Amino acid sequence: MASNEEGSIGTSMHGVTAREQVYSFSVDASSQTLQSDDPTAKFGLPVDSEHRAKVFKPLSFAKPHMRAFHLGWISFFTCFISTFAAAPLVPIIRDNLDLTKTDVGNAGVASVSGAIFSRLAMGAVCDLLGARYGTAFSLMLTAPTVFSMSFVTGPVGYLAVRFMIGFCLATFVSCQYWTSVMFNGKIIGLVNGCAGGWGDMGGGVTQLLMPMVFQVIRLAGATPFMAWRIAFFIPGFLQVVVGVLVLTLGQDLPDGNLSTLQKSGQVSKDKFSKVFWFAVKNYRTWILFVLYGFSMGIELTINNVISGYFFDRFNLKLQTAGIVAASFGMANFFARPFGGYASDLAARLFGMRGRLWILWIFQTVGALFCIWLGRASSLPIAILAMMLFSVGTQAACGALFGVAPFVSRRSLGLISGLTGAGGNFGSGLTQLLFFSTSKFSTADGLSLMGAMAALCTVPVAFIHFPQWGSMFLRPSSDGERSKEEYYYSSEWTEEEKRQGLHEGSIKFAENSRSERSRKVALADFPTPETGTPTHV
Amino acid sequence: MAVQTFLFASLIFFSSSIESNHGATEVSLFTNLENSLEVTAKPTRVGVVVLEAGKDMVRITWMLKSSAKVNDDASFKTVEVKLCYAPISQVDRPWRKTHNELSRDRSCPHKIVSKPYDKIPQSLNWTIDRETPTGTYFVRVYGIGVNGQEVAYGQSSDAEKTTNLFSVEGISGRHTSLDIASICFSVFSFGTLLVFLVKEKRKANLQQRK
Repeated sequence: MASNEEGSIGTSMHGVTAREQVYSFSVDASSQTLQSDDPTAKFGLPVDSEHRAKVFKPLSFAKPHMRAFHLGWISFFTCFISTFAAAPLVPIIRDNLDLTKTDVGNAGVASVSGAIFSRLAMGAVCDLLGARYGTAFSLMLTAPTVFSMSFVTGPVGYLAVRFMIGFCLATFVSCQYWTSVMFNGKIIGLVNGCAGGWGDMGGGVTQLLMPMVFQVIRLAGATPFMAWRIAFFIPGFLQVVVGVLVLTLGQDLPDGNLSTLQKSGQVSKDKFSKVFWFAVKNYRTWILFVLYGFSMGIELTINNVISGYFFDRFNLKLQTAGIVAASFGMANFFARPFGGYASDLAARLFGMRGRLWILWIFQTVGALFCIWLGRASSLPIAILAMMLFSVGTQAACGALFGVAPFVSRRSLGLISGLTGAGGNFGSGLTQLLFFSTSKFSTADGLSLMGAMAALCTVPVAFIHFPQWGSMFLRPSSDGERSKEEYYYSSEWTEEEKRQGLHEGSIKFAENSRSERSRKVALADFPTPETGTPTHV
Repeated sequence: MAVQTFLFASLIFFSSSIESNHGATEVSLFTNLENSLEVTAKPTRVGVVVLEAGKDMVRITWMLKSSAKVNDDASFKTVEVKLCYAPISQVDRPWRKTHNELSRDRSCPHKIVSKPYDKIPQSLNWTIDRETPTGTYFVRVYGIGVNGQEVAYGQSSDAEKTTNLFSVEGISGRHTSLDIASICFSVFSFGTLLVFLVKEKRKANLQQRK
């Protein structure tokens, strides 16, 4: 727009073709076309007004959308491998370091606790610095902690290292944030589900990978007590490689990298205090925090205890226990995307209310199968219960992130961070309560954990959106409050609205009309294409 | 989706064909065994508190008890000498639990030697295995009958497993080469990140100046 004289009569081309998007609030013509000097702003997929992709092609590597997707889930996958790398090797490690059950349990708690803080920090980092840096920091700053397993000699060192490795689980937040800014709301459930699920698979793959690597190193001549330390170099090295790929091939936003866009004034820098306040003030954030704690939370706990459970209770060999434990995590490949897809499907038919019901159903079913897993005393029944439990819980995780992107637009990153932190909090809590003492057997711990999860899923009934409703209540009938724009622009003060800082939220509100149920959506707002002729 | 269903089905099939311990017609219980063997286990290095795995030796001897009846040893053909955990090494470690059913007992996992039984007293100078974990131990000898099941035993400690115990310090598993490799890789990781950050900041500043 080189010859643009803003405001002079006759220069604005807005409205000429009658195909332009009509906004409820007036916006400047110059801000409509986000032409960036950044040469990377070309799209291989159809996009919406925010330049987010409208279709999802998992086998493509198109810049920038699909690339962001693949880099995101692979980073997250690598971090899961590192965080749970110790779990299948615990029978060897506990003998080398002379650990007690309490030591092992506490280290398990520590491995997921670090991420509570790092996931919160990552939410802010993504909002302020972009998803690329967030991911790269997480991967490359924690790689040294993975390598430092070679120095560990006792329970304290073991706990400290697992705690520090656990920080890298923050990549979950940067991955989900990255996909949320790259993909349109109609498909976000499926995309987030795939990214999250394929990343979570790392927790399953590690149960197969680490015993295999350990075996190979032993065959090469090392003693068991040295071989497990060498095995840790594999996940550490993977982290460094993926970090480099993210920095060289990735891009923060559809239009370019965040720093470039911020410097040219096209994306305004937001204040952390505001972003934080609006995330924390929203009660839905905290309900999601608890919910995720008992879907992802128990999934993380299972990643830590299930291999040892099958090894000890059913007398399986280390590799066999690893295979069984891996099946739990591997189910993520289809279970979590399925949850996201089911959420999207429910939204198409019933709007946001459908998403909330699907979430409740999956999570409760998963919890019930967890109770059954603890009761099973024969191996085939235990495996069956475990697989059904894994599908239910992982689908719930996918369904939850079909809801989360709609809770806030301004504080999207921080809410992803807080929800993610909730997952880790739930895991730390359940491991502390049920798996760190000799008070209950592991089997009883599993059943009690399932019961607690079923109970803590009930709060989803209290999530209410005035524009869309909740599980049991209809949307508000008030003319003002039943509009999406009202909900999303209420995150900005009057002063900020006057400055036009909320334009991104308005665009998002327009695109989020898809969350109304089919009946309501068909009733109002004929689209511009059908309403006006193509030529004036 | 079809692949996952197939994997799931094969996992169920595979697991149901894994043997469970229902093969033995009679379950062998520890309390049914005769304590007819006299066993001693003494570290060869005198005045030592903690033995080192892979280095120190223990002298183990076993023979039929003088108080045993004449034909008590007629039923066993081989003896199995095992290293067992003392109660102090079993505290808060359910994977080392003692179980009366011998097939489920986890307190004696380390096999020292398995020999055919001569009717004469036997002894052995055993170098503690390098893979032995840190812990407190005693030695138990099982008399194995023709059908492979235990019929008699003897141990170097008393019935409460409190006397004649010896402590072993396992190897650390650490090595200088590992430590150095670890530091090198860590420095590489930090360094690469720093290089990228500096490069990008320079590029962004150049762009801004344009």
